[in-house]
Amino acid sequence: MSQAVVSVNAAVLLPVLAPAIGAAVVLVVDVAAPHLRRTHYMVALASLAIGALATIAGLGMVAGQVRQTLCLPGSGQCMYAADGVASALQLGALLAAAVTLLLSWPDDKKQSSGSTAVIVSLVLAATAGATAVAGARDLGSWLVALELATLPTIALVALRGARSAISGAVALLTTALVSFGLLALAAALWFTATGSGFLTPAAALTVIGDPSRRPILVLAVALVVAGIGFKLSLVPFHAWTPEAYDGAPLPIAAFLAGVSKIAALAALLVVIRAIAPLGAPVLISIAIVAAASMTLGNIMALRQDGVVRLLAWSTVAQAGWVVLPLATLSSAAVYASGAYLLAYVLATLLAFAVVAALVQTRGSVRARDLASYRGLVDDHPVLAAALGLALLSLAGLPPGVLGLVAKVTALRPVVGSELWLLAVVAAVNAVLGVAVYLRWLRAALASPDVLSQAGPDGVPAVRAQVLRVHPATLVAVGFAAVALVVTSVNPQLILGLLGS
Amino acid sequence: MILLLAALAVPAVTGTALILAGRDSMTARQGNANLVSLVASVTTAVLVVATVITRPEVDQSWLPSLGVRWQFAVDGISAPLLLLTAALGIAVVVHARSHAPHGGSLTTFYGCLLLVEFGALATFLSRDAVIFFLSFEVVLIPMWVLISRYGDSHDLAARSDASGRFVLYTVLGSTLMLVGILALVQSAGTANLADLAKAHGAGIERPTQIVIAALLLVGLGIKIPLWPLHTWLPPAHTIAPTAGSVLLAAVLLKMGTYGVVRLVIAPLPIGFGALAPLFAAAGVVGILWGGLACLVENDLKRLIAYSSVAHMGFVVLGLSSGTTVGLQAALFANVAHGVVSALLFFLVGGLKERWGSADLATARAALREVSPRLGFALVVGFAASLGLPGLVGFWGEFLAMYSAWNPAPDRPLGLMRVLTVLAVTGTAVAAGYSLRVLRLIWSGDRTSPAHEDAHGGEWSVLAALVAAVLVLGVAPGLLLNTTAKDVAAITIEVSR
Repeated sequence: MSQAVVSVNAAVLLPVLAPAIGAAVVLVVDVAAPHLRRTHYMVALASLAIGALATIAGLGMVAGQVRQTLCLPGSGQCMYAADGVASALQLGALLAAAVTLLLSWPDDKKQSSGSTAVIVSLVLAATAGATAVAGARDLGSWLVALELATLPTIALVALRGARSAISGAVALLTTALVSFGLLALAAALWFTATGSGFLTPAAALTVIGDPSRRPILVLAVALVVAGIGFKLSLVPFHAWTPEAYDGAPLPIAAFLAGVSKIAALAALLVVIRAIAPLGAPVLISIAIVAAASMTLGNIMALRQDGVVRLLAWSTVAQAGWVVLPLATLSSAAVYASGAYLLAYVLATLLAFAVVAALVQTRGSVRARDLASYRGLVDDHPVLAAALGLALLSLAGLPPGVLGLVAKVTALRPVVGSELWLLAVVAAVNAVLGVAVYLRWLRAALASPDVLSQAGPDGVPAVRAQVLRVHPATLVAVGFAAVALVVTSVNPQLILGLLGS
Repeated sequence: MILLLAALAVPAVTGTALILAGRDSMTARQGNANLVSLVASVTTAVLVVATVITRPEVDQSWLPSLGVRWQFAVDGISAPLLLLTAALGIAVVVHARSHAPHGGSLTTFYGCLLLVEFGALATFLSRDAVIFFLSFEVVLIPMWVLISRYGDSHDLAARSDASGRFVLYTVLGSTLMLVGILALVQSAGTANLADLAKAHGAGIERPTQIVIAALLLVGLGIKIPLWPLHTWLPPAHTIAPTAGSVLLAAVLLKMGTYGVVRLVIAPLPIGFGALAPLFAAAGVVGILWGGLACLVENDLKRLIAYSSVAHMGFVVLGLSSGTTVGLQAALFANVAHGVVSALLFFLVGGLKERWGSADLATARAALREVSPRLGFALVVGFAASLGLPGLVGFWGEFLAMYSAWNPAPDRPLGLMRVLTVLAVTGTAVAAGYSLRVLRLIWSGDRTSPAHEDAHGGEWSVLAALVAAVLVLGVAPGLLLNTTAKDVAAITIEVSR
């Protein structure tokens, strides 16, 4: 008989291993030399870069082609399998984590709080979880990886120690616990229904002939949608989002909007692809959740006066767009969903990066207040242009062509399946979304001579002393902006990553 | 092929460069920005003319995952609109030389004008349905900036309301259109507009055709604008700077009717046939609604905006008839409205600047007395607007009514005839409001407060447009012959 050892291909696993090893290295280095700070960031960026390079081999693979490892001897079942979509999501998570690190780069002038190594290793650990869940094909690693992607973020939110950070972390913690409970239950039901520990179409197919087990599987998938719904901020599981975003330090909010969302969608896609052959009785619930998320997210975002809360509610709305194509049986749905998420993450990271830069030059209060964006185009033309590009991409209007193409991609399966009502709801929400982002953009474009000559008390506003933006933040803004411009000129760069 | 791509690249690159280049609102730079955009728009116009003559085709892969290709070409239906866009692209720049708007950097202003021109040209040139949609969206943000930043700053709340309303209505329209386009491409199996037109809806079931046509007509109807979806238009026109109003009326509205021809009438004849009576009825209500509003409206810019709703109603009526004559009439009326509304908005924008407001209730010096050039252009403009034979406005509307009286056999004859009678009533209303405006501001013998007459750039633009009104009015064949062949190709299947 074959030996009872799983085969391991480290090269295939590298997108997961690199950040995980990076996290360990950072902690070891911190023990050895406690006063280092930038070294940690260097190590972290290097490990993320290695992971990102390792994903390249998996990008753009045609349907059916996978890179797999951790295969069981005999059955040929593998616990890790990365196809084009998974590889592209891994790449997105690794790059988004790098942008997050750039935004939280330590400032020379400030005294170290001693938590640098902790922050960096937590970011790397959560990123490893995100890349792992994209490739996980068995219930155990899927659940563990998803929690690995979630739990460090709670600590990251709480680390700031402020009252709002604690309340944000508590909201996140509660959500994570409920979500874990639902997902654990879903995993148990999956095992009951299929008798298999693998999240594969083959396992799901065993249920087809058996009407008594089918409802159990449907319930399992419904619970997965609910559990992941918490992590993706889908209505009605969204309530933690504004609290956590607003309470967290800005780079961590960007992490929640970027890497965490990629992890959640990657986890959902693993299950969605597994049940694809069943046809799908849970699709209607995805349609309802998508429509509700878009609508509530946009309406609430319209009412926000703080930009971080606006971005939080915009996450809720965009999460609806992300799962919109999954409400169909179309084979293109998984690609569309992945492409939309990557476009959203890129644009939203750029928006966060610009806000982070403004926090450094104008102070946290002004940078987080929507009204004080008036005249931005005259004070900081470059940052205003970057912000405009990010917001127009989120809104899906040229020159943010990437966002527009993402909307086309997301709508295509819906229209193809003749879900007219859902398509019209999405169309109306595209309009609401435009209203949300243009409200911010209008403030940034408004000429200050009309609107902000006088401060709130009617006294001419004193120009705050212009402080320098940290070079690392500028690198983050530049990186995200260039990536957005390039992918707007040729959106195929993003669409092609996922394969076809 | 190079010519066509250059015609798109010149305004796109120059526009983007101008927006990124300078925030200087200093006077020294204003002349430069104007000169740069003048050179760019003239170059574009030359390239467009060359493109229209040589008729090149471009076909390049862009998004293989979505099957979207850069496909551009010219035919008789798009050629007049391309020429109109290119000509007005020059006119707005020349006009702005002496009548620059306030509100911020002029480089951004000219940049936005060029980007609007780019979007309109790309819309009229595109042969891929998804590229058509993308081009359609390109004009939105520049136009929004033109209205929200350079518009009438008397009432900031009204300005922000007008620009917001413009962008939200149009986005709703274009997203519904996108849903329709995706459905059309899905069911027809091709995104190429020429192939779609050739197929004449073969293989698409009647119910599907009706659903898709309804989505597209509502989406494009917002842009046209079709009654009752027109409510964004009057505030946008009232607030927009002169150049913005001109481009909005003369170019952007045409994208809606052009889209109806390309995306609905040609590829979905059965679906459009089923909805045509409703479409025509909405158009005729628009004719009467717009005309009646004009009879009592006291803001001159808003009045012309309402008259646009009425004129586009005739275009819609012609489109709905389902005959070759009707389609020809609609395309002619489309261009005619482009020329006449451009003339009127240039005039009224100039008058508003001189008067300080566009209120008709205030007593002014009679144009005939103090500014004969403006007065003459105004008389020609309103005479064309009321459909006087011999001027450009006559042919489109006359032929539209003629075609609606004798519609295609599958149209309900009784209803179409009733609608025609109502449309005729609409022309009488048009005569009423046109003469009302002329009586109020052109005739009379008041000579104070005196104002300057048109000269320089403003006069040359007005004179050129007056000449276009007269030439096309006397020789409509110039335009009708251009469109005839391609229109016949569309309707041949319908009238069979």
